[in-house]
Amino acid sequence: MRRPRTGVGRLLGKAVLAFAGFMAVFPLLWTALNSLKNNVDIITRVPRVVFTPTLANISYILGRDSVLTGLYNSVVACGVAVLVGVVLGLPAAYAVARYPNRWAGDIQFFVLSLRFLPPVAVAIPLMVIWLQVGLYDTLAALIVTYSLLTISVIMWLAIPAFQAVPKEVEEAAFVDGYGAYSVFWRIALPVAARSLAGAVAFSFVLVWNEFLIALMLSSSNAKTLPIVASELSQQGMNVPWGILNASVVLLSLPPLLFLGVLSGFLNSVFRQKKT
Amino acid sequence: MSAIVCSHVDKSYGATSVIRDLNLSIEEHEFVVFLGPSGCGKSTLLRMLAGLEDISGGEISIGGTVVNDLDPGDRGVAMVFQNYALYPHMTIFDNIAFGLKRQNVPKAEIRQRVGAVSTTLGLDPYLDRKPAELSGGQQQRVAIARAMIKTPKVFLFDEPLSNLDAKLRNHMRVEIARLHQSLNTTTVYVTHDQLEAMTLADRIVLLRDGRIEQIGSPAEIYERPGNLFVAGFIGTPNMNFIDVTIGRDGDAWTLTNAGTVFTISGERFRLQQGERAVLGIRPPDLVAASPGASGNLLEGTADLIEFHGNDALVTFCLGGKEISALVPSRACPAIRADVRYGFDESSLHLFDAQSGMSLRRQ
Repeated sequence: MRRPRTGVGRLLGKAVLAFAGFMAVFPLLWTALNSLKNNVDIITRVPRVVFTPTLANISYILGRDSVLTGLYNSVVACGVAVLVGVVLGLPAAYAVARYPNRWAGDIQFFVLSLRFLPPVAVAIPLMVIWLQVGLYDTLAALIVTYSLLTISVIMWLAIPAFQAVPKEVEEAAFVDGYGAYSVFWRIALPVAARSLAGAVAFSFVLVWNEFLIALMLSSSNAKTLPIVASELSQQGMNVPWGILNASVVLLSLPPLLFLGVLSGFLNSVFRQKKT
Repeated sequence: MSAIVCSHVDKSYGATSVIRDLNLSIEEHEFVVFLGPSGCGKSTLLRMLAGLEDISGGEISIGGTVVNDLDPGDRGVAMVFQNYALYPHMTIFDNIAFGLKRQNVPKAEIRQRVGAVSTTLGLDPYLDRKPAELSGGQQQRVAIARAMIKTPKVFLFDEPLSNLDAKLRNHMRVEIARLHQSLNTTTVYVTHDQLEAMTLADRIVLLRDGRIEQIGSPAEIYERPGNLFVAGFIGTPNMNFIDVTIGRDGDAWTLTNAGTVFTISGERFRLQQGERAVLGIRPPDLVAASPGASGNLLEGTADLIEFHGNDALVTFCLGGKEISALVPSRACPAIRADVRYGFDESSLHLFDAQSGMSLRRQ
């Protein structure tokens, strides 16, 4: 039953939505604003909205080698790990979804179990392994470790996405003469693309924000951006709030760009043709 | 030459047997309908013809080639699915052309053939759209176009009309019948709707529990059902069944149920005195008896009258069993009126009570 909406109810609903939106967006906006403020404008009793903006924080951040190295490490480690996750995880997920054997349930559980362990439980053994192998504090170690995460997350999210593709559509392609691989490429992937893109984006955000494993696996060379950003707050008693905020902005830009590009791509793929 | 031959075909999932020792041969240009209740294995059999299900035992050949181990694309079949199964991310044009692209048909020829098929099916205005922008009937037409364009040896239809509303279903049924007349391609059509089966089929294959109950033209199956299941499954309203004991009265045979005795010549049947049998009579074959008539009458009190338009279905009780008679509405009795119906012996069906097989002489 649809209940008629009263003016008050609708107003209240909108108010709740606006409040929730404000709660989500305001901290981000405030961080962005603070990144443009001098420290004196940040440490005031009354928050300042009107101030003389400065690019000092941002140029300081971008001028530091450690930040640029961190950015480079993060982009490479996360980018390659997501790529590996896509290349290995999507076909694996498709195989589990479409050609289930008696191990399929166990495979899914194992993949998920990688995510219920506390990260420390994984990080310490991994650190020992990489030390033994002699790859500690290298990008390669980070890429392999992150790939474990991306493969598992992408598989876990892609299996239901592939299962949601109507089986008959794939069967129609078989009857049309296509083989299993063509059906994966030409039917399953494009039909499930929307959900798969979500899975890929989620896995990227997950490894981009990852802190603990990166902390354990790097000491100087392979530090990722979250580690570098956290180190900025450890420079003595005077917390450089402006710089910290600027680094947070820098940290949040790539995922936002990534999601933006991805959603743009999706919109273009799924835009209904107007005739 | 037969277009499709199934010999000793079995299908089982683990210990569950779905199709058992099935033998069937379908002639070229024939329109064969697999009919049966849900779970009878009709769709499984069709999918085995298409190559979408493995064959557990036996052999299937299409156009003289054994296809047991051929991929669906190599069998020369085209299939129309119940839920249309269009490729949602492609335009209607690409949906229809997808199979031809696989065969590396030149682009110009693809365009020309898609054009021809889409004109036949009235799809020209929609070629640039995506399937989601089309109505159910239009989508089904695209699915048929996609099947037609490959000029297959065999068309397979898997309950193609059951997702459409009643009116559209009638319309599409006529369209499929026309299409078959003009293309004359061997067609196997699965349905659970007996009206579709009756109107479309050259031959009906009636299945139950993975076995063929009867094969025959619609008229044969309706008029000469081979067993109780077929008699009860085909025909709306359903055939009336009355348990009787066979007896002898001079030259004639008697069929006795409680107080009612029917006397028949029994020439058409193989009868044995004392045998238990089931008498079957279709509701339209019961006719109101004239007041003076006596013998071979079914009498009772009308306790339910369903108005069907031209006809009305009168239901009454006879020996604890519900009997229905389909009578012209204008001659319809009032509810709770006493009714008396007679029948012609030629419209009678008799089945063995034990085996359920028809007692009709072959």
